[in-house]
Amino acid sequence: MDEQIDIQAQILTEETCQFTVDRPVYPEGSVYFASKVEAKGSPLAEILFDIENIVAVLVSGNIVKVTKSGHENWGPIAKQIGAAIRDQLGSGGLAIADTAQPDLPGEGEIKEKVQKLLDTEINPAVAQHGGMVDLIDVKGNTVYLQLGGGCQGCGMADVTLKQGIEHAIRQLVPQVGDILDVTDHASGTNPYYTPSKK
Amino acid sequence: MKRVLLLIPTTSYRTQSFLTAARELGVDVTVGSERPNVMADRNPEGLLTLKYQEPKEAARKVIEFSHNYPLDAIVGVDDQGAVLAATIAEALSLPHNSVASVAAAQNKHMMRRLLNIARVPQPSYRLISLDEDPSEISNEVPYPCVVKPLTLAGSRGVIRADSDVEFRAALDRLKGILRMPDVASMRGDSSSRHVLVESFVPGKEVALEGLISHGKLKVLAIFDKPDPLDGPYFEETIYVTPSRLSHTLQEEIIFCAARAAEALGLERGPVHAELRINQTGPCVIEIAARSIGGFCSIALRFGNTKFYTKTVSLEELLLRDALEMDTTSFRREPQAAGVMMIPIPDAGVFYQVKGVQEAKVVEHIEDVIISAHLNETLVPLPEGGKYLGFIFSRAGSPEHVETALREAYARLEFVIH
Repeated sequence: MDEQIDIQAQILTEETCQFTVDRPVYPEGSVYFASKVEAKGSPLAEILFDIENIVAVLVSGNIVKVTKSGHENWGPIAKQIGAAIRDQLGSGGLAIADTAQPDLPGEGEIKEKVQKLLDTEINPAVAQHGGMVDLIDVKGNTVYLQLGGGCQGCGMADVTLKQGIEHAIRQLVPQVGDILDVTDHASGTNPYYTPSKK
Repeated sequence: MKRVLLLIPTTSYRTQSFLTAARELGVDVTVGSERPNVMADRNPEGLLTLKYQEPKEAARKVIEFSHNYPLDAIVGVDDQGAVLAATIAEALSLPHNSVASVAAAQNKHMMRRLLNIARVPQPSYRLISLDEDPSEISNEVPYPCVVKPLTLAGSRGVIRADSDVEFRAALDRLKGILRMPDVASMRGDSSSRHVLVESFVPGKEVALEGLISHGKLKVLAIFDKPDPLDGPYFEETIYVTPSRLSHTLQEEIIFCAARAAEALGLERGPVHAELRINQTGPCVIEIAARSIGGFCSIALRFGNTKFYTKTVSLEELLLRDALEMDTTSFRREPQAAGVMMIPIPDAGVFYQVKGVQEAKVVEHIEDVIISAHLNETLVPLPEGGKYLGFIFSRAGSPEHVETALREAYARLEFVIH
């Protein structure tokens, strides 16, 4: 394949670097490999573990997040990783095995668990502020939520979602990938907290 | 994995920006707010309730928390959390500004005193007690003057007076603002009975956004404010960067802001300064130990000159700085950018906004965010403390940005009764 593959690398921390590819690497969702053994059958992940000091690989959509040990500069390692991603995607072969998430529950099971969590714990909690959370859908391992009532347009909705609701869902179903808020917050008419310039 | 404590008051505009930035950096987050989150029991390591008005007690609580969940940085995302952030960081021996320097930046009188000692150009000023007889003071005030509360932000409570009659009226109005419940609840005793009277400084106004490292100011952006700010109220509207002022004048602005930061004792972290420029040069109107407020930071994006090309937000840059990660190789993007804070035109209930889609399709407009919610009771300046919304633009030149912002604004219609 002659088409150029554009990859943007961003060093997140001394240990972690994120590679944003201009096309899907694993469109099915997110998968995390903590070792070369776990990566077996997923060619891209296997190649990445062959690079010295690579200790973990997370692939989600068009994002490849790589964790290394040691204090070496990311520069030369990132170049190797970028080349590996280009080679693998350029070959036209499978980058991540379809079976990379053997323990991933089905959409129905995720829906059932998340709905039960919303009914028994989350909605009773957010109801204290006149809020509610609806499960809109589960596609693959991506969960779509909609916030309503006091949560819709609330200045702290993102805190409640990311620090509270997401945390609870991931504890219950660790294999869940993205948790997306599909709320039209601009249409909220009774948010519990509203921002202001103090 | 590193963990950062974000002090996010429940009234912050910047919750999402900071949480997104933390996620981009792959750091664990604990959010410390002044009111309990309904999910706090479900995630005690991620959600803390802290008394912002009692920093020492809050610091003790965070120290206890950090025994189980060690913290690598404390970031106050708004003015309200700045003193608390410094107090906690000091208690945990994390890098921080001195509590005194941050407190001085939050109190306009303390700021003026320190700038005066350091001979930094600024308006003449006088602290007055609300218990003094206004008719006596009004004879001693140089007109035109500006009456200001000591601790409010965003031009709230700031009123120009051109005569003794206007001065007494302004003072009465400011007394009323200081009695408003949301204001009274956040003000300390020391600032409750005093206000500042300053000479009005004519001229153009700019805002400087910077990051201080080891006492040295790195300028992230200088924003022109093309709409005149002559009062009687000082409603912020359009900010455009890069500045169209001469290079020499910009150097003078940077020098003046750096002196002001040094005078206050600020040695690290974000700084936001507002300066007036006239024939006598730059003059410091305000300097605060925080970054730009509201949603305005969306106008700023930074690229890394060394290695990667993805731009990062101001919030990510601030987290990098707090976590002592590299920030030196980041520069603001080459494009011109701007934001318009949409003023509240009238008091009343906000029923409808028309023309948002039409405003969004104006050339060079990136987004229009209406942050006020429908059915909300709106209060304009000087009593009010909110914006109606924000318009964002990016283009090849500051002129194009300003034109786009004005055109987009002209397409909006707000129904307020």
